[in-house]
Amino acid sequence: MKTNLHWLKEFVDIQMDVHELAHMLTMTGLEVETIDPLDLRFDKIVVGLIKEVRQHPEADRLFVCDVDAGKKSIQVVCGAPNTEAGMKAPLALPGAVLADGRKVREGKIRGVISAGVLLAEDELGLTDDHSGIMILDHDWPTGTELSELMPRDDWIMEIGITPNRPDCASVIGIAREIAAVTGGEIRMPSSKPREEGPDVESLASISLLDPKGCPRYVARVIQGARLGPSPFWMRYRLHLGGIRSINNVVDVTNYVLLELGQPLHAFDYDRLRGHKIEVRRAEAGERFTTLDGQTRELSEEVLLICDAERPVAIAGIMGGLNSEIFEGTQHVLLESAFFDPRTIRRGAKHLGLSTEASYRFERGADIGGVVRAADRAAYLIQEIAGGKVAKGILDEYPERREQPVIELRISETNKVLGTGFNASDVARCLRSLEMEVESKGEDTLQVVAPTYRVDILREIDLIEEVARMGGYQNIPVRTPSVRASEEERYWELDLSDRVRWVMASMGYTEVITYGFISPRVVEALGAAPGEPLMNFVRLLNPLTLEQSVMRTSLLPGLLVAAKQNLSYGEKSLKLFEWGRVFFSKGTKDLPEEKYQVAALLSGPVSLKKWYTEERKADFYDIKGAVEALLENLGVEGFRFKGVAEFPAYNPEASADIEVGDAVLGHVGVLHNDVKERLDLGKSDFFAFELHVDAVRSVMTTDKKFTPFARFPAVHRDISIVVAKDIESLAIERLIKEEGGRLIESIEIFDVYEGKGISPNEKALGFRICYRSTERTLDGEEVNILHERIIDRIREQTGGRLR
Amino acid sequence: MRDQIKELEARALKDLEAVNDGVALEKFRVTYLGKKGLVTALMRNLGKLPPEERPEVGREANLLKKKLTEKFEALKNRIEEQGQRAFRGIDVTLPGRKPELGHLHPITQTINDVCDIFQRMGFRVVKGPNVELDYYNFEALNIPKDHPARDMQDTFYISDTLLLRTHTSPIQIRVMEAQKPPVSIIAPGKVYRRDSDVSHTPMFHQVEGLLVDKGVSFADLKGTLISFVHQMFGKETGVRFRPSFFPFTEPSAEVDIQCVLCGGAGCRTCGQTGWLEILGSGMVDPAVYGFVDYDPEVYTGFAFGMGIERIAMLRYGIDDIQMFFKNEMRFLRQF
Repeated sequence: MKTNLHWLKEFVDIQMDVHELAHMLTMTGLEVETIDPLDLRFDKIVVGLIKEVRQHPEADRLFVCDVDAGKKSIQVVCGAPNTEAGMKAPLALPGAVLADGRKVREGKIRGVISAGVLLAEDELGLTDDHSGIMILDHDWPTGTELSELMPRDDWIMEIGITPNRPDCASVIGIAREIAAVTGGEIRMPSSKPREEGPDVESLASISLLDPKGCPRYVARVIQGARLGPSPFWMRYRLHLGGIRSINNVVDVTNYVLLELGQPLHAFDYDRLRGHKIEVRRAEAGERFTTLDGQTRELSEEVLLICDAERPVAIAGIMGGLNSEIFEGTQHVLLESAFFDPRTIRRGAKHLGLSTEASYRFERGADIGGVVRAADRAAYLIQEIAGGKVAKGILDEYPERREQPVIELRISETNKVLGTGFNASDVARCLRSLEMEVESKGEDTLQVVAPTYRVDILREIDLIEEVARMGGYQNIPVRTPSVRASEEERYWELDLSDRVRWVMASMGYTEVITYGFISPRVVEALGAAPGEPLMNFVRLLNPLTLEQSVMRTSLLPGLLVAAKQNLSYGEKSLKLFEWGRVFFSKGTKDLPEEKYQVAALLSGPVSLKKWYTEERKADFYDIKGAVEALLENLGVEGFRFKGVAEFPAYNPEASADIEVGDAVLGHVGVLHNDVKERLDLGKSDFFAFELHVDAVRSVMTTDKKFTPFARFPAVHRDISIVVAKDIESLAIERLIKEEGGRLIESIEIFDVYEGKGISPNEKALGFRICYRSTERTLDGEEVNILHERIIDRIREQTGGRLR
Repeated sequence: MRDQIKELEARALKDLEAVNDGVALEKFRVTYLGKKGLVTALMRNLGKLPPEERPEVGREANLLKKKLTEKFEALKNRIEEQGQRAFRGIDVTLPGRKPELGHLHPITQTINDVCDIFQRMGFRVVKGPNVELDYYNFEALNIPKDHPARDMQDTFYISDTLLLRTHTSPIQIRVMEAQKPPVSIIAPGKVYRRDSDVSHTPMFHQVEGLLVDKGVSFADLKGTLISFVHQMFGKETGVRFRPSFFPFTEPSAEVDIQCVLCGGAGCRTCGQTGWLEILGSGMVDPAVYGFVDYDPEVYTGFAFGMGIERIAMLRYGIDDIQMFFKNEMRFLRQF
């Protein structure tokens, strides 16, 4: 809501400066979002009297005017169509600066000297009107500086109105809040029209067919109004309020909307067939053309204003083209009604239409203020458009609404606020807001709020008002004693923290990507329809296709992040994310949400430095990362089973990670096809993804200390050449089987392929650590065991010593 | 015997010449001067000599031992000195062999810091689903269908009843449904709103807090949140509470802190007001208790919620919210 200080001051005395006022309003709940001085520059602009207008000799559309500027008369060339001898207009003299920054100079226009500029309103920065030069009041003395006559020292405030306070979406509403805090009195504007026409009952009638949708409908009739432009002061205020000027009658309805907050509508009386107003629900499929020229399809959600034969307006939202005020309008029927908030909201939603009127009706208009608003508008129309206001007012109000009587306990007030108010403090706060307060016993007040306070229905609503008026800053500050809860600590925070730190210590950087992704990326990973990866939770109203389904894996997000970074010139990437994935369980049930952690590696793992050569990442880097992570989390006995189920990997280098029957996740090298489909360039991508629930199910949470062996260890190496397809794990198993309890650990210190051995063979080097927990091993004993192990390997794998 | 001594001396001196490091030196010591060493053995054998030869040979043996010991000590010193010298003149400004550590996302770090503060006050961390029922996200928070407050948040829908939560507040309802007072929780998480422009991302993070017990008042709300602000932004930071509206709290309050950039003098970040809005809060509306079957005559409580991106932006001086989700390394590396 935009308002200006001068307008507010018509309703209430304001002694403080605008910044203090803004602070005060903000601290009572009307947040002043911006304060801007009205920066009107009127230097060297005077009231000019156009004495003579001649056609420009060289241009059809230009005039040459002699303008009296007070002290002297000057010649001005002007192109405005409304230029006329005898009128007064703002005249900018050389040196003046116009609103758009243009500087006025004396010059020649098409060969004719022009010593100034006659101005339109937009050139003065007053409104956006550029239809012609601004017509000034004839009383204003010629030659006077405009700055002495025009509004000055004004401020525009933009105020945030919370949905519970529709009454404050008006100048008077804000003025009332100011009065409540400062103790000032509200001055109501003149609102009694002179009634001089025939009885209104003889001119029109109202029938409410849906009293639930429209509990009250008030109308007045004005006969013989003269349509035309509104006076400057009205157009100026509408402009500041962000409303376009249309004509004097429509402008009045909008002016009263801004002033009192009551939306009004003016009908062309002669176009209302049968001079009748009927309020009813629309029928499904009914069509209607609103005054913006759009034909809209209606439904039963929409409330209609009709005449005797047809709809003439959509109630509370927008008028109709068939009954709007136009230049030929003579008689006006003015509507001031109260519509049911939910009905208007549903209708506006159905139509996808939000207007100044619907905004206010949706939140709740003042059912007690509709007559005053109709009177005020009739008064203003009479003042500026003339015409006769018919006697009386049509007021259809079948079921009078009583304001609720609310009991407020002082003790409850203090309990909720932590304050020590007494009954008179509380009563004073509420009375300042024009509430009726009566004492009812020691601890209780009976309170009735004014009709415009649609938000006051319960005791707690009053407690809030007491807090507001008492000032939040005056409520004491206390540190609560939080009682310890016996509920268990939620696991996610601790575990995610641990995973994050382990990953970061291995050089992986955390990313956070959007929860929604493009289904195309998942398809590009190679997922087939029907796979769980494609069991998407789909958004009904996504912003873009890229954000249209909830992710089923963290890898799409990581890949997109990696691609971005590579395009920024990053060479080496180690990224990870901890987050949720989502699997649909239909449109009724909540989806399955599971935590995952995933990592992505690309480019060299170490760059060329003074002490090391560059090394490209490979499968064993990502595998090592997931091994270290799982070990740190206390997962034992996990194994890597070749060819992961996950579709995005190269089958030659991927594995599922398993413990017992549980699949913890997968690790692998991204398939070339996937890289191509996602346009990821040439470099290799290595990834793992773990299902956190599965990991948790096999984590050892109770670690036990193992005493270390006191006897010395004996190390022996084996270098063996085997067929390429023999897995190192198989040989390790053989060593363990044969060596039994004397094997403390096995380290693979060498893997060799190439020169010296056949292309379908590889050489593996194992360093075995023998140790007994009971005695010092004898060298010869170890030698015999070691030989046995070598024989066993040779036997089972067909390998040979290197 | 004398020949033996001569021979031993010649052998030892020759061996000593070949010694060039600590390991060889130690081997020399063990071989000649150790408990089982050759010189020690020689000395032990002196007793077997006839008494008249003993003094002469004994002197020579002692001489040998002394000579070898001296030479050993001298060499030992020299080798140790050489060891020290190996580090002489190194370039201490040459970069170290630095392991490349990863970085935690600034949002994660901020959430952790916020949660830590409240955990120390006795609040328990909980989580809730990202995909929510309309009931928890709106209805039970006193935001019925057709309520204008729904305009405050543009919602992503999955179906008539399912949506992406627009705030972390549904967790309040879930926790109160599951347990009786006292309730003291803090709930971080992702939230989603259908809004994407310079100052909005369609996903962002919030932290929700709730305290419900007997005798909890607005004064406690103020005390708790002032303490939070002081721990998060510094003890000197000014705090103000001003009336606002949320459908599920009443009275409601926005919490502003003194602008951390200009100190309250007014700047671009605070829109010249000197204040920054960082928290929404209020006393739990009695209507909400109706949905979770708490007696509002017995229990009162307060709730609050804050946007983590906003806090992180203030804290790190980030002026573009989009940065958080672009995941550029040159951004992430800074945290």
